[in-house]
Amino acid sequence: MKSKLNYLIGISLKRKIKTKWFVVANVLIALVIMAAINLDSIITLFGGDFNKKTTIYVIDETNKSYELFKSNIENATLLGMDKKDNYKVIKYDKSIEDAEKKLKEKKEKGNIVVNFKDDKETTIKSIITTKSFLDKTDYTILNSAIQNTKVALATMESGVPNEVFASINSSAKIERVVLDKDKKSAEESMDMIMSTIFPIFILPFFMLTLFLVQMIGAEVNDEKTTRGMEIIISNVSPKTHFASKVVAANLFVLLQSILLFVYGVIGLFIRKLIGGNNIANGSFDAVLDMAKEVLKSGVGEKLIYIVPLTLLLMILTFIAYSLLAGVLASMTTNIEDFQQLQTPIIIISLIGYYLAMMAGVFEGSIFIKVAAMIPFISAILAPSLLMLGQIGIIEMVIALVLTIVVIYLLVKYGLKIYKAGILNYSSTGLWKKMYKALKD
Amino acid sequence: MLKVENVTKYYGDFKAVDNLSFTVEEGKIFGLLGVNGAGKTTTFRMIMGLLEPSSGKITLNGKHINYDVTDDIGFLTEERSLMTKMTVLEQCEFYGTLKGMDKKDINKRLDELLEKFGVTEYKNKKIKELSKGNQQKIQFITAILNNPKLLILDEPFSGLDPFNVELFKKEITEMSEKGSMIIFSSHRMEHVELFCKKLAVITKGKVVLEGYLKDIKKNFRKKTILIKGDIKKADLLKLDGVLDVIEKIDEFEVKIKSDEYVNSVFEYVKNKKNITKFVVVEPSLNEIFIEKVGESYEK
Repeated sequence: MKSKLNYLIGISLKRKIKTKWFVVANVLIALVIMAAINLDSIITLFGGDFNKKTTIYVIDETNKSYELFKSNIENATLLGMDKKDNYKVIKYDKSIEDAEKKLKEKKEKGNIVVNFKDDKETTIKSIITTKSFLDKTDYTILNSAIQNTKVALATMESGVPNEVFASINSSAKIERVVLDKDKKSAEESMDMIMSTIFPIFILPFFMLTLFLVQMIGAEVNDEKTTRGMEIIISNVSPKTHFASKVVAANLFVLLQSILLFVYGVIGLFIRKLIGGNNIANGSFDAVLDMAKEVLKSGVGEKLIYIVPLTLLLMILTFIAYSLLAGVLASMTTNIEDFQQLQTPIIIISLIGYYLAMMAGVFEGSIFIKVAAMIPFISAILAPSLLMLGQIGIIEMVIALVLTIVVIYLLVKYGLKIYKAGILNYSSTGLWKKMYKALKD
Repeated sequence: MLKVENVTKYYGDFKAVDNLSFTVEEGKIFGLLGVNGAGKTTTFRMIMGLLEPSSGKITLNGKHINYDVTDDIGFLTEERSLMTKMTVLEQCEFYGTLKGMDKKDINKRLDELLEKFGVTEYKNKKIKELSKGNQQKIQFITAILNNPKLLILDEPFSGLDPFNVELFKKEITEMSEKGSMIIFSSHRMEHVELFCKKLAVITKGKVVLEGYLKDIKKNFRKKTILIKGDIKKADLLKLDGVLDVIEKIDEFEVKIKSDEYVNSVFEYVKNKKNITKFVVVEPSLNEIFIEKVGESYEK
């Protein structure tokens, strides 16, 4: 019977993998992943003004604003709004009319004229002239720099001594003290980082869950609708058949995860080859930078136990999902029925996905903490909460134990339903039949 | 020997099979007949070990039906039980392996059977691409691939043309001669009459007729007399023991209550002119079936 089990597992995998649709789907997935990783390079490949340098011509009628403004532009870029090199501040000695003429003549974008004038009420007044609309980043940086220039001038004019002025202008020192010994201050900034990084890891989990459920549903229904099930079950026990479906589906998920990882690695390799990150705020590099930040922040030590626990919980959850999908598939008589029945499974998975996304926003939510221990959604939710420090190892262990309990119940009672369901071809009195099967 | 002993099967409160007993010996073909819903499929499923009897027992060569025994059973279901997305070779390897055969043996036997049924060119074709008749051939091949000791054939001639029916008949007969036990179920009574020396008719899960066909026919009292000549239907109907007279193009079919009334009919006919035929024939299985089951099997 063991060799028949191995054979059934092999044939299930072969039936799934040796199809042109598996190849087509994987080619598409690979292309999408590689494209997503190299999205900035693809966008720039089709052309566009992505490496624009902004030149700011300053007409300083106040004779005191230029230096401060130039320094404030540098400060603004240092805050991460844009790259410092993208801004060039030049003092313009000619009239505003000349400057306007120059702007009109210049073909390239990114030329701005800032005209500072004295103003009795607001210390200085500035006129920003451009050929066309200002982009959002430029406007924010200019606004910040002009505002800071005005504050600096007003402070100086109020007769504040130079040392005091220097002190006012310097950044405030902030030291953090966290009384809870379990919390490292470095982890405090993790919320934002995790909310960006985690969807990247849980999205494949969600996708793989769908693959898993659909594979089992399609196979069981295919065998049922063709009545091949009668021949199969007359040669192997329903228990062996059920086990073969569960193992094959999980092996398929493992293979697909490896393939997803390989596509990601290839995508990164291509990125390295073509020297990506052409756009200043390249989203993928930003994510990589964040990931580096996470590792630096001392979470690296945490990963030693978070990663194995997460993997274990994910494997157990996949097993639970496959058992549930197998039981539900055995009860249906065609693939359309199964598609309807799999909707609740997808919704459960989606709830876990959204709760994981919201975990950072609703920090300390008891509802989310409790949900993190509920089987099926715990695999998505618990690791993210553990990483964010919102739950501890105990809650993670509870999530693991509860998933094992669900697996045990699905094996014990689900198998009874499976045995009765796979040879049932009528939906009449279905629940009665299943209830009877549970009682037997 | 297959022994079905006092087997009863309940689905909830519904009794699908009621105290059914029969035996099938090696090299014999046993006919199991019944209208739709009579309990045949449930019986087959119990023999295949797919269902447990509520009471009674089923043994094959003295062994209770389990997964070791089912490797020796071939089953051709009434509905198609082929995985249509597979090729013929994949399908046969799939079912053959589940029957405990190794790939080499499967391939050898498959080539032999494909040749026999004239479908060698379909070996690597997907089953869904085959015609209904060819699909039935493949289904039959999967059922006999392992040279089963017990072969259950539920409507084996479904979708076949007369030429292929002959091919199947030949193969079934050969298997029987080689010692396989065969259970045969068909709506076509002429096929049952041709193969089965022994049969059982079940209705509502109960056996209503059982035994050797020869004895069944002999014991079935109603007979038919075929007469050709200048006779009148109305006169025949007046005779004692005549149940019905069917007037055909060139002869009369006279149904009589029993053998005892043959003479009285003969007495009437012998004085008539141009009598060229007077034959007493055994009743067909179809007639017996209709009589016993109380409704047409073809319904």
